[in-house]
Amino acid sequence: MNLFSLAGVELKKIRRSKILLILLIPVIMMWIPSVVNAAINFDTRDIPITPEKNFLIQGFMGMAWFMVPATLVVCTVLLTQTERSGSAILKMLSLPVNTARLCLAKFAVLILLASAQMVMTIGAYYISAAAASWLQAYPFVLEPLYVCRVALSIYAGAIPMAAVFWMVAVLIPTPIFATGVGLASLVPSVLIINTKIWFLYPVSYPFYLLMVEYGKAAEGVYAARVDWLPWLPAAVLITAIALGIACMRFGAAERR
Amino acid sequence: MILGLETKKLKRTGYFPAFLAGGLLAAAFPLVNMLARSETFTALPGNPFDILTDANGQMMAMLNMLVSLCGACMMYHTEYADGGAQRMQTLPLRSGRLFGGKLLIASLVLAGMVAVETAALAGCAAHWFPAYTAQLPPLIRNAAFQWLVTLPTVTLTLVIASVCKNMWVSLGTGVILVFTLSIFPQDNPVLSLFPFSAPYQTLAAAAENGRVLLFSGVCAAEVAAFVLLELVCQKVRRCAE
Repeated sequence: MNLFSLAGVELKKIRRSKILLILLIPVIMMWIPSVVNAAINFDTRDIPITPEKNFLIQGFMGMAWFMVPATLVVCTVLLTQTERSGSAILKMLSLPVNTARLCLAKFAVLILLASAQMVMTIGAYYISAAAASWLQAYPFVLEPLYVCRVALSIYAGAIPMAAVFWMVAVLIPTPIFATGVGLASLVPSVLIINTKIWFLYPVSYPFYLLMVEYGKAAEGVYAARVDWLPWLPAAVLITAIALGIACMRFGAAERR
Repeated sequence: MILGLETKKLKRTGYFPAFLAGGLLAAAFPLVNMLARSETFTALPGNPFDILTDANGQMMAMLNMLVSLCGACMMYHTEYADGGAQRMQTLPLRSGRLFGGKLLIASLVLAGMVAVETAALAGCAAHWFPAYTAQLPPLIRNAAFQWLVTLPTVTLTLVIASVCKNMWVSLGTGVILVFTLSIFPQDNPVLSLFPFSAPYQTLAAAAENGRVLLFSGVCAAEVAAFVLLELVCQKVRRCAE
C-alpha cells in the first residue's frame, strides 16, 4: 500500500472522533474577545502599527503560542489512542504493511489536521474582521495574500514541532507522559523566543515567526528577524531525526 | 480502602512521577529566571516572595492546570480503556465514592506540586534577596491559597474526564478551556472567579483587592457544585445506559 491509501485508511479511522469539532471550538473562542475588544486595536501605545495588522497579530498570538501546540498534542493522543482499544494496533501491525510507512501516514494525518485548523482560522479571521469592521466602522479586513502568508508561516513552523510531538507519542507508551511532556513544553516557549537559542526549541517556532511578523508590521519595536542559516538546517534536522526515530520505534512496545 | 484501590490503579500509569516532574519543572522557572536576569527583579521594591510570584506565578499556574488536566484524563482513561469502569459498577461500591477517591488523590498530588513550587520560590527569594528571611506561616498561607484556587479546576477536569469516554475529547475540552480563559482579561473580577481562570490569582494580588475571602469562599463552593454535578452525571448515565 502506498502512503496515500494508508493515510486514507487513517482518516477513515478517525471519522467519528469529533476531532474537527475540537479543532473548531478554540478557533471560534479565540476570535470572540478580539471582536468584542476590537476598539483596543486603535490604542497602539505609540507603537507604529496599523489597527488592522494589530487585530490580525493579536488574534493569532494565542493561536501560535498555545493552541497550535496544544491541539497537536490532542491529535497525537487521538492517533495513538484510537487503536489501543481492542488491541487494534496489533492487527494493523500484523498486516503486510511497512510499519515505517504506517507511522508516516499517521504523521501525515496529524499535519493534515493542523492544516484543517489553519484553514478554519483563516475563515474565522475573515468573519471576525468583517464583524469588527462593522462594529467599529473601520476596515479591519486585510488582503488575503498577507493573511495567508502569516497563517502559512505559522503552519510551516508547526511542522517540526508536530514531528517532535509525534516522536514523543510513539516513544512514550504511557499517555500521561506523552501528553504531559507536550503540554508542559509549550509553557516556557514565551521565555525561549527571547533567547538566542530559540531555533533549538521547535515548540517556539510558530510563536517566533509571528513575532517576526509583528516586528515587520511595527518597525523598531521588536527586533526579531528570521536568520535562515542556523534555523533552517536546525529545523530540518530536528524534523528528520524526530521522524526517523518515530518510524524506527513505531510499534516497538507491541512487538515486544 | 477506596484510596488504596485508586492508588493501586495509578501505580503503573506514571501518574505520580508525572506530577513530580511537573512540580520540578515549575520550580525551575524562578530558578532559570533568576539565573538569567536577577538584576531586573532584585531592583524592584516590595516583598521578594511576591515579586517572584508575580514574575513566575502565571506560568506555574498554567503548568499546574495542564498537569492536573493530563492527570485527570489519565485517571479515567485507565477506567475506560479496557472496560474497567463497567467492572467497577458490578462491585459493591458506591460510584460516587470512586469519584471522591480520585478527587482526593488529585487534590493531594496538587498540594504536593504547589508545595514544591512554593519552596522553590522561597528558596530563590532567600538566595538572591539578602534581606529576605523565609517564614513558614506566610509561605503556608500562600501555598494553601494557590491550592484552593486551583482545586475547582481540578474538580472540573475530573468531571469532564468522567463524562467523556474518549481521552482526546476530555483532553481537548480541557485544553480549550485553559486556552479560552487564559485569553479573557484577567482583571475582570467575575471572570477571574471561574475555574481555569482563578489559578492565575496570587495571594498578594487578592489581598490587595481585599478578595481573599471571596476567592476562598467561591472556590470552595465551586468544588462542592462540581462534585454535585458529577453525582448528577452518574445518575443520568445510569438511566441512559
